[in-house]
Amino acid sequence: MAKPIRDIEPIPISKEQERENAINEILDKLADNQEAVHSTLDLIASLQKSGILHILTGLFSEGDKVLDVIVQEAAKEENTNAIRNLLLLGGTLGTINVKELEPLLLKINHGVARVAEDPDPDEKTGYVDLVKKLKDPQINRSLTVLFRFLEGMGEKTEQEERN
Amino acid sequence: MSRDVTIQVNGTLVKAKEGDTVLQHLNKSGKEVPQVCYHPSLGAVKTCDTCIVEVNGELVRACDTPVEKGAKVDTNQQDVKDAQGIAMDRILHNHELYCTVCDYNNGSCEIHNTVKDMKIEHQTTPFEPKPAEKDNSHPYYRYDPDQCILCGRCVEACQDVQVTETLSIDWESPNPRVIWDNDVAINESSCVSCGHCSTVCPCNAMMEKSMEGRAGYMTGMDQKTLRPMIELTKNVETGYGSILAISDMEASMRDAKIEKTKTVCTYCGVGCSFDVWTQGREILKVEPQAEAPANGISTCVKGKFGWDYVNSDERLKKPLIREGDRFREAEWDEAYKLIAEKLTGIKESHGSDAMSFISSSKTTNEESYLMQKLGRSVFGTNNIDNCSRYCQTPATMGLFRTVGHGGDSGSITDIQQAELVLVIGSNTAESHPVLATRVKSAQKLHGQKLIVSDLRRHEMADRSDVFIQPKQGSDLVWLSAVTKYIVDNGLHDDSFLNDRVNGLQEYVDSLDKFTMAYAAEKTSISEDELKKVAHMIAEADTVCSLWAMGVTQHSGGSDTSTAISNLMLITGNYGKPGAGTYPLRGHNNVQGASDFGSMPNKYPGYEDVTDDDVRKRYEEAWGTPLSSEIGLNNHQMVDEIHKGNLKAMYLKGEDMGIVDSNINYVHEAFEKLDFFVVQDIFLSKTAEFADVVLPASPSLEKEGTFTNTERRIQRLYQVMDPLADSKPDWKIITELANELGAGWNYEHPSEVMHEAAGLAPLFAGVHYDRLEGYNSQQWPVEADGTDTPLLFEKEFPFPDKKARLYPVDWTEPLEYDAQYDLHVNNGRLLEHFHEGNMTYKAEGITSKTPSTFLEVSPELAEERGLEDGTLVRLTSPYGSAKVQCIVTDRVKGNELYLPMNDNGEGAINQLTSSQADKDTDTPAYKEVSAKMEILKRTGESPLPKKIHHRYGNPQPQIGVNVEAKWKRKDYVFPGDIVRKGAKTNG
Repeated sequence: MAKPIRDIEPIPISKEQERENAINEILDKLADNQEAVHSTLDLIASLQKSGILHILTGLFSEGDKVLDVIVQEAAKEENTNAIRNLLLLGGTLGTINVKELEPLLLKINHGVARVAEDPDPDEKTGYVDLVKKLKDPQINRSLTVLFRFLEGMGEKTEQEERN
Repeated sequence: MSRDVTIQVNGTLVKAKEGDTVLQHLNKSGKEVPQVCYHPSLGAVKTCDTCIVEVNGELVRACDTPVEKGAKVDTNQQDVKDAQGIAMDRILHNHELYCTVCDYNNGSCEIHNTVKDMKIEHQTTPFEPKPAEKDNSHPYYRYDPDQCILCGRCVEACQDVQVTETLSIDWESPNPRVIWDNDVAINESSCVSCGHCSTVCPCNAMMEKSMEGRAGYMTGMDQKTLRPMIELTKNVETGYGSILAISDMEASMRDAKIEKTKTVCTYCGVGCSFDVWTQGREILKVEPQAEAPANGISTCVKGKFGWDYVNSDERLKKPLIREGDRFREAEWDEAYKLIAEKLTGIKESHGSDAMSFISSSKTTNEESYLMQKLGRSVFGTNNIDNCSRYCQTPATMGLFRTVGHGGDSGSITDIQQAELVLVIGSNTAESHPVLATRVKSAQKLHGQKLIVSDLRRHEMADRSDVFIQPKQGSDLVWLSAVTKYIVDNGLHDDSFLNDRVNGLQEYVDSLDKFTMAYAAEKTSISEDELKKVAHMIAEADTVCSLWAMGVTQHSGGSDTSTAISNLMLITGNYGKPGAGTYPLRGHNNVQGASDFGSMPNKYPGYEDVTDDDVRKRYEEAWGTPLSSEIGLNNHQMVDEIHKGNLKAMYLKGEDMGIVDSNINYVHEAFEKLDFFVVQDIFLSKTAEFADVVLPASPSLEKEGTFTNTERRIQRLYQVMDPLADSKPDWKIITELANELGAGWNYEHPSEVMHEAAGLAPLFAGVHYDRLEGYNSQQWPVEADGTDTPLLFEKEFPFPDKKARLYPVDWTEPLEYDAQYDLHVNNGRLLEHFHEGNMTYKAEGITSKTPSTFLEVSPELAEERGLEDGTLVRLTSPYGSAKVQCIVTDRVKGNELYLPMNDNGEGAINQLTSSQADKDTDTPAYKEVSAKMEILKRTGESPLPKKIHHRYGNPQPQIGVNVEAKWKRKDYVFPGDIVRKGAKTNG
């Protein structure tokens, strides 16, 4: 006669047994992932040496508080502006067309190189010299490039602004 | 039929389908147009105005403009972009973008994605909060008006898909927002917690609470930090582009911590499938998918929110072995050895037929297959059955007699498109909620007619066009009388009967006694009403008949099921879309449990155990001799235990000690067993009698397939690991079989399915590869994988391919002594499932519906002095139950309704008898009468009325009523602002 019952006697698992099971599980994992474990330990050792580990521990153990401080700090006007500027700068950098910029940069490089040859020249350029120099094809090309650049700078850019 | 026409899109001539909207065409052809409120499963909602395009020179909503021959569509010009921009600006006025710290930032936020696609950098109208609090009152979802863009998707879903009609948008208000009923807190409304609104919400306005603070990396932070964080995000905003890029990155990172796994619901037989979002064992949400074949975006409260049981502390974690007056936890090895030794001993001393096996509709097809294989092949007995014996076997019998396949004739989509739906003895809105929504919606929006025959005025009855209330157990009489009237008046389908049906004359002769007068007397339905029903059925082009336990759980359950099928044959309602018979299967896999052979007389695929050729096929495949004797069904098993012939039982996933009828008699039988093994996820009432209890894993912890009421086989994938030492049933049965020397080597359920498909012709082409993801197959499945969504299109599976009219007579329901003066109707509730082992574990459900209750009519309450909360004892000749009353006009006169959701003092089966359907032994659960004693006249109502949906106040309307929005003084169509210089007021 099997009467209905509800009492359950749990398997007596001793503390030692439980601990041993847990340790075995961990050892298995370690053995399976030897390489990863070694690299991880190396990384932790260097973090420890440099003191970064301490900082991280503090950061994470008090995560909520730290985050709150960061957010409050970041929300201050000057910091908000800084973040905003960073984002803007990032965005603007992205819009620069390096391909188009390259010839200009090369030219600037050449100019810089020439200046570097004699950074502090003794000779002076007079009025007449200036007119003469305009005939020099190298200088004439430089000036044309500069004028075009100035023209571009003067164009309206409001519609492209991100801010 | 829709035909193709030629239109111009951005100057190019293209083909488009007439009948599509311009938006549908653009979507199909891959042209990207913003469309925030549009949802393919809801259709055009028309509230957001973001899909404005130019058609024939006019700026119009693409979602609201039909494709017409020669139309010129322009999606590119500046006016179009400007109008869309204005629309989007209005949305952002209502919705604050803080994506990275938003729990809805999972890649599917319509607002986020539209802002990104439209390359919007700034909004003209700044965000403005609405003067209404966040509504956190409901246990499972909350509404944040400040994030709500008033797209009305939730309202459409509630009004026209789910058709509970709770939600609306108050367009008259100065600050419109979504309201529940006539503007009460969510939890105090008529909301049935189906989850549609949170599923379709395009953003975080309507969200599952289980997502809150958990989905993102930074969404769990303190509220005091969150607010400054949102402000900070807004202040550094240099244009939305960079902010959205960061939130996109965060959304992708979430994939690493959120698992999304497809599963099939484990509650009723509708077979809803959906993704479950988890982090470890924690369920974040259930996310239905439009591609889910049975349910699409729909769920009910159980499928959407009823999963707490999986992580319940009460789950069994180790095998239990009875020792004296307690169970002792044991390791699997010990349990297997003990079971093997005991069962082998009993088999040796008492023979194979002293053993019995009971499978479960909660377990998978593969597990049903293995259970019958264990019984048949390892122990040599056909004593194997499953719980469909308690519900749907009579329906299967009725269909085998007449049309040859024991399943629904078609799919849920057929029911949806039928001209007339006939619901008999089915509380569909509560028992098969998602399927019921398709009927409610077709009736509300598309003119479908609905006839309901039931004792009780449930929701379907309330909504029906014709509601008849026959005396209990008399459905066969009115069905036969209506059939006779149809034939007598020449309203039957002559050509269908001539070409495709046998036995007409003999059947018509058998109807002789079922005159209108006789029917009116026996059923108490008036002749006029019966004639009206007859005309409606005969005159509709397509009729679907739906029935459930109100038909089958009677002494003549098989015969009434047969009568329904006869009526459908007489009116030609088989073998065409939108027609046929639909016995609504009650459990997730009640269809599959029988399909895969857990029946005493059938192998998988309904082949007879007495058929020598079939048996030989299985003997060769399994390599063991098999019994040719039909085994015991579970009703007979109980009798044979009492007689001392049946000594051992191995039962899985079935709380037979609660769900069988006359449970006192069943409990006595359990006590007499020599050895009893129960496999379950909980220590159920039944398990309390066991000698060994094995801890099983529920659906979320394993793979396999379920077959729904549409004969649709669907795969479930493992959402999480089995809890503790529990194991999937297929693994337990395999390991036990191997302990007994069977030498099975199944490593995965697919191997079991492929073995079954190789043996049972009905499933020949069923294969896991063809069932990947949301793919499914409806049996019969040919070897090449072709399945059968609609049965009988060409032939009936009989030798001459013709259906059979099968004469049946009325079996009067069980008579009770005059002192048992109240009829106790019984059945389901929407929010709880069966004895409640699973759903009572869901705190939210239980907070709103804490226990079962007894529905009594206002008349009876008046006569006996009953009120809400009165505690009564009901006594039948078989036992008694104690339960509190609810007074309601859902029942009338001396008719009571006791939901079956209790496993204690209120359990209905303390009252039911061992009387059963004469053809299938399905208990006649519905034939119960009792007398009532009042134990305590006053008490607290068993339902918390303030927060219980049955006391809500629905506000029916069609959809979101966008016309009211357009009439607002502050509304101007964006197209008019762009083209006609109209002023914006918004």
